[in-house]
Amino acid sequence: MVLDTFEALAMLAAIFGILILGTTHLRTNLSFYSLHTTAIAAVTAWIANITHDSHLYLVAAAVFAIKAWVIPYFLNTVIKKIGIGTDSGAFIAAPLSMHLGALLLGLSYVISLQIPGLIGDPDSRIGSTAAMSILFSGVLLMLTRRAAISQIVGFLVIENGIYLFAVTQTHGMPLMVEMGLLLEVLVAVMVAGLLLFNIKKSFEHIDVSQLTELKD
Amino acid sequence: MNELLYLMILPAALALISLFLEVKLTRKLVPIVTWWQLAIVAFVLHPCLQGTERMQFASGLAIDKMGTYFILLTTFVVSCCVTHADYFFAAAEAAGDAYADRSLRLFYASVNLFLLAMTTVFLCDNLGYLWIAIEATTLSSAPLVYFERNKFALEATWKYLIVCSVGIAFALLGTVFIFAASQRGTPMEPTLNISELITHAQLLNFPLLRLGFIFCLIGYGTKAGIFPLHTWLPDAHAESPAPASAMLSGALLNCALFGIWKVASIINAAQPHSHVHQLVAVLGTVTVVAASLLLLRQHNFKRLWAYSSVENVGLMVFAIGLGSGPLFFLQALNHSLAKVALFLLTGNIIQASGTKKLNKMHGVIEDCPIWAGLLALAAFAVTGAPPFGAFVAEMSMLSLSMSDGRWILALIMTAAIAISFVAILAHVGKVIFGSGKQGFKSFQPARASIIPAILVLGTLVLGVGLNTEVWSGSWSVIR
Repeated sequence: MVLDTFEALAMLAAIFGILILGTTHLRTNLSFYSLHTTAIAAVTAWIANITHDSHLYLVAAAVFAIKAWVIPYFLNTVIKKIGIGTDSGAFIAAPLSMHLGALLLGLSYVISLQIPGLIGDPDSRIGSTAAMSILFSGVLLMLTRRAAISQIVGFLVIENGIYLFAVTQTHGMPLMVEMGLLLEVLVAVMVAGLLLFNIKKSFEHIDVSQLTELKD
Repeated sequence: MNELLYLMILPAALALISLFLEVKLTRKLVPIVTWWQLAIVAFVLHPCLQGTERMQFASGLAIDKMGTYFILLTTFVVSCCVTHADYFFAAAEAAGDAYADRSLRLFYASVNLFLLAMTTVFLCDNLGYLWIAIEATTLSSAPLVYFERNKFALEATWKYLIVCSVGIAFALLGTVFIFAASQRGTPMEPTLNISELITHAQLLNFPLLRLGFIFCLIGYGTKAGIFPLHTWLPDAHAESPAPASAMLSGALLNCALFGIWKVASIINAAQPHSHVHQLVAVLGTVTVVAASLLLLRQHNFKRLWAYSSVENVGLMVFAIGLGSGPLFFLQALNHSLAKVALFLLTGNIIQASGTKKLNKMHGVIEDCPIWAGLLALAAFAVTGAPPFGAFVAEMSMLSLSMSDGRWILALIMTAAIAISFVAILAHVGKVIFGSGKQGFKSFQPARASIIPAILVLGTLVLGVGLNTEVWSGSWSVIR
């Protein structure tokens, strides 16, 4: 099987997504996230090249600038300020969850043909496999990690998966919508980052599994 | 385009001004301007109220009759809440735990951004914009939940932000599926424009559309608090200050449900009697049943009302599942009126008695008869007892569901509504009766009762004035 360039890039993004699962070192996580998003921006640019769609170039540039650069930089600053370098412990050991992620990539390949409406559309199979695998990686990250910052990264990875799905399956949503989404994600990360400072200040940890004061 | 500016300029300007203005002035200014905003909204959108089908403002921004009703309701709720907030903060000052000026500035700025975001939700005629607006309501209301600045508020805010953002990410995936549905199997340009999607609904790729709808239902359903995705809701409602809880319950939940309604109307146009609607109705029933059982054992006064909101969300989802726009709006309207009154009254009582625990509250009737009376009336109103408006809505819903042949759902629903009625009245009875212990005089009970009294009166008038036939009969689907 020969992969098209953008398909290879999408797979690369999926693999970086799985690598995020492989370490509990937060700064390494963010570096992988940054590479993962760069690959996704490259997919966008490559598809823009194929479809000659000028607005996709703009989206690719914005994705690269905001999601691969500004957000990891901001989160890195947050990590440095609160002085927590590693996730205090995952519910599933990091290497195990990485292998689980690889397994889910295989599963994504199997179910990518089962999406109703996309059946009989083999052109888009690799793209949707990669997107779904990224989605699964993000969900796995959110479910298995304790540190609040990993939850934010998990959310970002999920969002990337959805974005990649949109780009590979529909060649990008309207420009205004894409830009609005990017802005929204940026603001969400900023708000979550500010909350993180306060969590660290009042609880002296950022372990979300210990946030269980509120119940019926 | 000009109309759009009129609708949005005041909240936007107030959000900015309230960051700098003297707090004492902001507390008076914001209510006045928000009531003025209500008048402007009514003036700008009056063609829609008088029968114009829809008003187009710009590409992807339009409003129809349903949206107009909701926008008026939302602005009204926010106006009531900010008016009462002035009293709420004054009472906190009198009780000796005044809030810092910085917190209040942030509160008023967030309230206005929140109003702006909610106004935008109802103006969206594009699924992408709708998603952006609904996520913006989450982000702008997070500071409201964090208002108390303690550990509990922090935990509630974190859960609210993460659960809602991730939940709503699935709605984005659903939106992408619907976009793909408009691209595949049709000759038309791919679009996210809701009215175009409705017009060409028959041409869309139905399996993809259905998949998209289910993801949107899960996503917006998380934001609306459908069981079992409601986990953020009681925490956020219980930990935010009373005026903010009232806005979350009376305005924010409607926005998310409006999102579900919009997507449902696309699928309704594509295939009027699909199984998807059955799924929605079942989901609504499950939510009502779960909430009514959870209502039985509550220990916190505000969590009680939060679970009652979950129950009402279930009823509204049920109305959407029946495909009845008017009933959805009628239920939303009555729920908003009664629940805002309840949250504001509860806030007063909590401030005066100094506890949120249900087992430590009793004898409000001795301490303050007005509050006790209004609390009882509002509690009756929210449980759907006659002669209040919610009774009309719930009766029509049940009879519509019966006539559709969904009598099993209707029976389960009736039982669940009865359970929640008993549960709520038992809890409220304990709060009202018994021996009083606190002097509430310093809390200006009369001034604190104005807004709740207006709201309770509103839902009473609706209940007496509405004719059940009209709501379940011919006028059954508006888009």
